Amino acid sequence: MEPTHTEIVVVGAGPGGYAAAFYAADLGKKVVLVERDARLGGVCLNRGCIPSKALLYAAHGITSARESEHRGISFGPPTLDLAKLRAWKESILTRLSGGIEQLAKLRGVQVLRARGYFEDSRTLRLETEQGQQFIKYDHAILAVGSKPAMPKAWDLGNPRIMTSTEALEVEEVPQSLLVIGGGYIGMELGTVYASLGSKVVLVEALDTILAGADPDLVRPIVAYAYKAFKEVRLNAKVGKMATSGKHIKVELDLDGQKQEGLYDRVLVSVGRAPNADDMGLGNTKVSFDDRGFIHVDEKQQTTDPAIYAIGDIAGGVMLAHKAAKEARIAVEVIVGEHSAFVDVTIPAVVFTDPEVAWCGLTEAEAKAKGLEVRVAKFPWTASGRALSFDRPEGLTKLIIAPDTERILGVGIVGTGAGELISEGVLAVEMGATAKDLALAVHPHPTLSETIMEAAEAFYGQATHTFARRQSPLKD
Amino acid sequence: MDLKLPHLGEGADSGTVVNLFVKEGDRLSKGQPILELENEKAVATIPSSGAGTITRIYVKPGDKLSVGQPILSLGDGESAASQPPAAPKPPPQQRVERAIQTPSPEQQPGPAGEAVEAEGAQAGPAAPPAAAPSIRKLARELGLDLTRVRGSARGGRIVLEDVRAYIQRLQRLAAAPRGPGPAQPTAPKPKAAEPLDFSKWGPVSRKPLSSLRQVIARRMSETWSAVPRVTQFDEADITALMELLKRYAPAYEQHGARLTLTSFALKAVVDTLKKHPIFNSSLEEAAGEVVFKDYYHLGLAVDTEAGLIVPVIRDVDRKSLIDLSKELEDLARKARDRKVSLEELKGGTFTISNQGGIGSAHFTPIVNQPEVAILGLGRAAAKAVVRQNTIQPRLMLPLCLSYDHRLIDGAAAARFTVDLVQAFENFQEEAVKLT
Repeated sequence: MEPTHTEIVVVGAGPGGYAAAFYAADLGKKVVLVERDARLGGVCLNRGCIPSKALLYAAHGITSARESEHRGISFGPPTLDLAKLRAWKESILTRLSGGIEQLAKLRGVQVLRARGYFEDSRTLRLETEQGQQFIKYDHAILAVGSKPAMPKAWDLGNPRIMTSTEALEVEEVPQSLLVIGGGYIGMELGTVYASLGSKVVLVEALDTILAGADPDLVRPIVAYAYKAFKEVRLNAKVGKMATSGKHIKVELDLDGQKQEGLYDRVLVSVGRAPNADDMGLGNTKVSFDDRGFIHVDEKQQTTDPAIYAIGDIAGGVMLAHKAAKEARIAVEVIVGEHSAFVDVTIPAVVFTDPEVAWCGLTEAEAKAKGLEVRVAKFPWTASGRALSFDRPEGLTKLIIAPDTERILGVGIVGTGAGELISEGVLAVEMGATAKDLALAVHPHPTLSETIMEAAEAFYGQATHTFARRQSPLKD
Repeated sequence: MDLKLPHLGEGADSGTVVNLFVKEGDRLSKGQPILELENEKAVATIPSSGAGTITRIYVKPGDKLSVGQPILSLGDGESAASQPPAAPKPPPQQRVERAIQTPSPEQQPGPAGEAVEAEGAQAGPAAPPAAAPSIRKLARELGLDLTRVRGSARGGRIVLEDVRAYIQRLQRLAAAPRGPGPAQPTAPKPKAAEPLDFSKWGPVSRKPLSSLRQVIARRMSETWSAVPRVTQFDEADITALMELLKRYAPAYEQHGARLTLTSFALKAVVDTLKKHPIFNSSLEEAAGEVVFKDYYHLGLAVDTEAGLIVPVIRDVDRKSLIDLSKELEDLARKARDRKVSLEELKGGTFTISNQGGIGSAHFTPIVNQPEVAILGLGRAAAKAVVRQNTIQPRLMLPLCLSYDHRLIDGAAAARFTVDLVQAFENFQEEAVKLT
């Protein structure tokens, strides 16, 4: 069969891949988008961000009904119709992936359901249901993503041992659930199952959950975990796992002490692994790091001049919005623009209860790099808005350059932190100063005020809290 | 961590590195001098604000430094080598390491090379240049290195205007004729005389002007054209004063102080200033006001190797002669060692220039703006003076009072001088006695 030709082929239709395909098409390129799943949208849309947020929202209804008792409003105990919950969640995914399909069509992006295999640096073989097909391309963008890591020792083929993919299917609400890994996936899904009624035991190998976020931002999440989960075990290692009837027997190593437990289900959330196997990349000049992620430069270019890589497969933080940014950069470079992933602020959000979000420099990072910074904080106990919905445990803080008073980083923990962080991103990207944030009027009563008040606290002038001035008197 | 040039004080935001005391690999302790910075007012020693081993030095003698610009990097052996614990890696850290490879225009050699380099208010390597994403994109497209552009918005943020100004500057410099000297893109200066080839008439050598000398030159000509100056001459009979000095000097010495004529002059001047407040004022022409100062901070012209500087002794009226003597010695030494801080050069209300130590008679000092008068002292000499119709040998001190004639009339100056002579001649022994 004669190979067809296209200017750009994008492999993988996740938030990186479809963003790249659409943008390239918008810039007038002939684009083929290859996806091996029936549904477009990748992990994020089908097995990640979106379904987890839907479940978190649904489960939060249970928690908030219970929490409203002391406000004088009581409901009966919740009843669960898991089929209905799944159907509702599926309807969202169907709608979103259908939307992507529609947008591809409107842009003239050719979508092919196939597994891609690189024959050489300029040829992709597609294995479709209808048979093989070859595409010659000028440029390829790899956006094949990642999958949940599952250590071999635990991979017993027992469906009771789940990764995030299975957990998001909510086949049942297990009586007991062991969550291995206190990263954002373990914390989010642990929250879902705990709210639905599972007794959750969380084990984490490090001495903290959500490593990478500043400790003061994690504190409210830790407090939540100790309240909502049956157990939280830090510095704990998981040993052997075995099937034991309708349970999984798990051996835990807690500070040298062995302990065995039976769990209805186990969620393994210990990280994500690259998806680059069996793609024929060995036939190209693409190279990998020792963990299997593809080497790219700041132009998203791999070591093969015709091939670019974006998103999870290119390493770094595995976040959809980072993939989407890299998609723009790769396409811009391909069409000949000067573009590079340099000084880009990638915010992080964890959708726990409460949420935690940060962007730019963290306090811990500043310390590790020996950078002198000032930190201005505004506790939400002083926010009327936070008190009005009963969640005063939040904290907003700014990492500020001492000389220029520039905002280098923002960290927020509290309800809606994920929405609030964008102002921080804008501040960091714009090179705004604490004064800029303090001078800009924020509406009352909102949580966004905490950003303004944190900046005011830097000058020792916050209305709703008392803080000592950190900036020298001037002007 | 990076050590940056700290705030130097009001009105001073840059300077030239004259001396670098450290090199890469040195152990640095907090407070240890790193470099000497020469600016308009003085040569200041910049101490280290941190401790550690110097991993990199960003400056060299001759470099112009702005406040906030990194001077050197300190590693403490630990944080430099080891990474934070294996947490989900935040991307910016990793990304920053990828170097930008777009060529920038100023990498090409050109007449403007040096001058352009000097503009850079480089942000530390810690944070990228403060500029909106749209501005950074524009800069990338233009191949412009934003670390070299000085930001004018709050916190040093670079806005479109700054980029435009920088490019225009580059263009002007590129268009400037290739001359022997560096291009001078700053505000138009008064036309310099046609350069002469002095070597036509004999051998010459050339030496660059220090920035202190350049400042002195500029300020002198500014004052010369701005201040209509008159100098009033007189002499004071200090025979009695010198006897006082001789009598008390040993006692002062026992207290670690050297009693000098200048100490007496400080007292004599401050007493006279109190009687003639206009001499302790400033003229604010724009406001149409005279600013009378209720404090007496006397500047003292000190001759140093680099040139003239004028450190200020504060509250002369409230200090005893012994304290003044000590401070005077201290300040003169600091000035010669180039250790005077900028703060110590500011706020003078009247200046004394004593050339007596070198040996001279009358001269016409230039008023040290924004002060309105200055007193020159020559070398005291024995002269034949008529007293009660007899000729007596008296020790006479030449006094030269220059004043700003816009504010002070000749009669006022004459009255001031008469009182000053009186102050020298009738110096109260009470003021000399040690309590």
